[in-house]
Amino acid sequence: MQNSKGVHAGRDSLGRRFVRVVRGALAALAMALLLGGIGSAALRAEAFVAERAVVQILTSSQVPVYDAPWRFQPVQRSSGTGFVIDGGRILTNAHVIAWAKQILVRRYQDPRLLPARVVFAGHDCDLALLELIEPKELADVKPLEFGELPEVRSTVVTAGYPAGGDQMSFTRGVVSRIEVQPYAHPGNRALLAVQTDAAINPGNSGGPVIQDDKVVGVAFQGIPGLQNAGFFIPPEVIRHFLDDIKDGRYDGFPMAGVNFYDLQNPAYRRLLGLPDDGRGARVDALRAGGPAERVLKPDDVLLEANGYVVGSDGLVLYKGNRVAAAVVFQQLQAGQVLRLKVWRDGGPLEVNLPLEAYDGDRLNGRQYDEPPRYFIHGGLVFTSLSANYLDSASDGGRGGVRDELAQLGYELHHLPVESPDAARTEPVVLSSVLPHPVNADFGVRGQAFVNRINGVRITCLEDVKRALLEHKGERHRFEFWGPTYGPLEALDRAAAIAANADILRTYGIVSAERL
Amino acid sequence: MKNLLSLAGLSSLDRALSFALIALALAVAPAAALAQPMLRTAPDWTRSLVTVEITFNAHDAFQPWNNPTVSTRKHGLVVAPGEVLTTAQYLPTHTLVRLQKGGRGRWYDARVKWWDAQTNLALLTTEAPEFWAGLKPAELMTTVPAGPEFNLVRWREGNLESRRADFSRFIVSEGALGFAPQMIMEVSTDIGGRLGWAEIVERDGRVAGLTTYGTSRLCGAMPASFIQRVLTAYRAGGFAGLGYFDFTWQPGSNPVLVTDLGLSGAPRGAVVNKPGKAKDEAGLQAGDILLEIGGFAIDSEGDYLDPDYGHLQLENLATRAHFSGEKLPMKILRADKEMTLDYVIPEAKFEKESVPREVFYAPPAYVVAGGLIFQPLSQAFLRGWGDDWRKNAPFRLQYYQYAEPPDGRKSLVVLSGVLPDDINLGYQDALMLVVDKVNGQTIASLTDLTAALAAPKDGVHRFEFMKGRGLQRLILDAATLDAATKRVVKHYGIPAATRL
Repeated sequence: MQNSKGVHAGRDSLGRRFVRVVRGALAALAMALLLGGIGSAALRAEAFVAERAVVQILTSSQVPVYDAPWRFQPVQRSSGTGFVIDGGRILTNAHVIAWAKQILVRRYQDPRLLPARVVFAGHDCDLALLELIEPKELADVKPLEFGELPEVRSTVVTAGYPAGGDQMSFTRGVVSRIEVQPYAHPGNRALLAVQTDAAINPGNSGGPVIQDDKVVGVAFQGIPGLQNAGFFIPPEVIRHFLDDIKDGRYDGFPMAGVNFYDLQNPAYRRLLGLPDDGRGARVDALRAGGPAERVLKPDDVLLEANGYVVGSDGLVLYKGNRVAAAVVFQQLQAGQVLRLKVWRDGGPLEVNLPLEAYDGDRLNGRQYDEPPRYFIHGGLVFTSLSANYLDSASDGGRGGVRDELAQLGYELHHLPVESPDAARTEPVVLSSVLPHPVNADFGVRGQAFVNRINGVRITCLEDVKRALLEHKGERHRFEFWGPTYGPLEALDRAAAIAANADILRTYGIVSAERL
Repeated sequence: MKNLLSLAGLSSLDRALSFALIALALAVAPAAALAQPMLRTAPDWTRSLVTVEITFNAHDAFQPWNNPTVSTRKHGLVVAPGEVLTTAQYLPTHTLVRLQKGGRGRWYDARVKWWDAQTNLALLTTEAPEFWAGLKPAELMTTVPAGPEFNLVRWREGNLESRRADFSRFIVSEGALGFAPQMIMEVSTDIGGRLGWAEIVERDGRVAGLTTYGTSRLCGAMPASFIQRVLTAYRAGGFAGLGYFDFTWQPGSNPVLVTDLGLSGAPRGAVVNKPGKAKDEAGLQAGDILLEIGGFAIDSEGDYLDPDYGHLQLENLATRAHFSGEKLPMKILRADKEMTLDYVIPEAKFEKESVPREVFYAPPAYVVAGGLIFQPLSQAFLRGWGDDWRKNAPFRLQYYQYAEPPDGRKSLVVLSGVLPDDINLGYQDALMLVVDKVNGQTIASLTDLTAALAAPKDGVHRFEFMKGRGLQRLILDAATLDAATKRVVKHYGIPAATRL
């Protein structure tokens, strides 16, 4: 299935192609490493000043099975890197600790395994903050400080615990380029990222990238097939995450809900009354209900955002780098207001755009840490339609358009953009039918979009539960697919109730629902 | 797809041949046991089975003005004086057809008298009297028995080859070229090589069917009984085209569901879950149970019992004894009551589909305007992504095959590419977008598009695309559009800016 588009700006065809590549990278980075024993702790001649603050993070995680939502996959062990920051806490990547059942921290040249827990996880920016169960264990560690966005061509050093050995490993490289890049971990977010030729390998994830004794990034992803290209999260994104959690809650990066497009065509510029001066990106589409829709109109031209001049290619000059204008939007926290200078109806106009956190596309991206919601009745397993579900149902979603999954992909990724009014809050799918005499003749056996039950249009799992439990007739009637027509099925109401306990016992299901 | 298949077929021909020769050599001993029944009839197929060579235009999805030609060979069967029957595959876009008899020697220029995509049948002829000398029409079976044994006969390297073909089953499926349902006879054989090129399946000197598809061991043949019926209608001037059922149905095998729909007793009948296009009272409704079609009882699997061919899917009743436009009585159960309605069988035509599977009824249409390339959205276009087109073609474009545009427009136009030029600067990434409006006018066809391009406003042409994830709008300068189009056409070597 398709990925959702990048955040505020960016060119669709390029962005989409890129995300596809990066997504593989996550799999490689998050790949479980077989961890060897602890080697002898030989001291280095020239001790690196930061290394005592760099830790290895060993995670045992358990990922749910989205198309059998009461189950979990086997426990996976993986390792990453983290580092101690101000406050005695450990910063790492969110993907290092996603779905963790147990997190252990290994300090530099310390044989002990120290249990830790997640304080905040920002899956949209792939950052997480951990603390030790016994925080005093880090009392003697000098925390690392953050620097500024490094300059292109300057040298950086990474520290971490990549595959290929047990001891801490250091690599050196130059900052290759700085751009807004798709983040593979959320799958549907693009934020500022720095590319370097310092080797960044599986296990490096979450490790500091250092310049002049200061952290200028967190290593986080690579792209299979690219040589000598690793990516790290820059200080602005890290600071945004740390500022966000200061109020004790993580809101995430705001999403204005606007797509800009290049405005390089002379006729288009003339039509809008703009000179051919290379300035301004055109508002092409606005997300229904988003904050931008309230203050912007299609064909408005963004000239400046918070003082940054926007080019006709949709980029701004940010600390010497030409990057997508989205970077300006991403500097602000949810609740803050962005000052925009736009061109509308032949003249300039100042507008204020209040930014909001947005999780309306949660199901389109990759979800973590919250196991899938489901409801089971009469052996029919209902769950939310999500990118995670589609991936499990289609073996990674790369098999092309299969008839039974095509509608699910459309409902999830396209319908909310094309017809927001027809889209449902939480599209529901019948993921499978647990065979039992009560449902043995039920012809639809799974991977089917649930349109109506007993005449009730299903917009979330609670609707399923209500439609089934509050129905008084002898039989339940199901309508799949939609929007109007699709396969019909029915289930005997009393027999389903009578069978519920037996079905849960037979299939080893502890609870008939997770809502 | 069909076009691409033929390319693959040709390239693998040599390999297939050598494989088949080895298979022949190995098969000498077991074949001896079968020699007797084959000798008893000793039909001389060299006198009615001929070779057809077809050169045809392949569809270039991304450069529709190109007409690359491909050649292939298959079989033809003399069915009447001056008439060679073959399958319609590869004939719709033919540029040259030739006939050869005896598996070798001279090729005779031929003419296509008639072809029909939905039946997948064609009749050829040649004006050269020498060709017909020594040939005699083959006899077609009127009813094809369900096995057990047939022979598969074909020309290979100038020699006639015949091998046992075991009857497997009768199935109902879409035709190899069209989408009208047909009953197909599946046979298995160890003859090897490429199959599905109108080889004949025969017994005792009478033709049981023409193959329409095949793998190395299994192939499907269009039964002679069906061919006879179509040819008879065609010769009488009364062939109205094949029909199909435009409603969708599901088996009525869930007793709880059919009870809920008002049926009493054991489950029977098929449940309509999406009505067809007929909106009058005679039309079917979702939830109707189909109990009988044309006098045949429908079971809960959606099958009927065919007097000649056993249990077959109900779809076959659309073509078994009827052509399009005819009335077919259906007994249904609706709201607890049995009733009979006369279903008028709609004609199966690609032109009626919103995303036509084939567009070979006319040369591929396109409009190049200011370097933007517009084409009708069709499956033929989507197959331009190659054998893996379902994986590689843009998902959203493919999805129009599953769900028609909600505003009811009958067809769609896609912006399939941009030939770079000054006029379209900045739009080089605007690809694979379905056109909604041009200059305010709704676009369902290239004709709509050219009409809309005649009416620019404010000195520009305004293109709007379907609401979605892609680009929503672009603008082209109106004053310079014609000049730019001429420039683009010349610069990129396109024969004409428009082919409607």
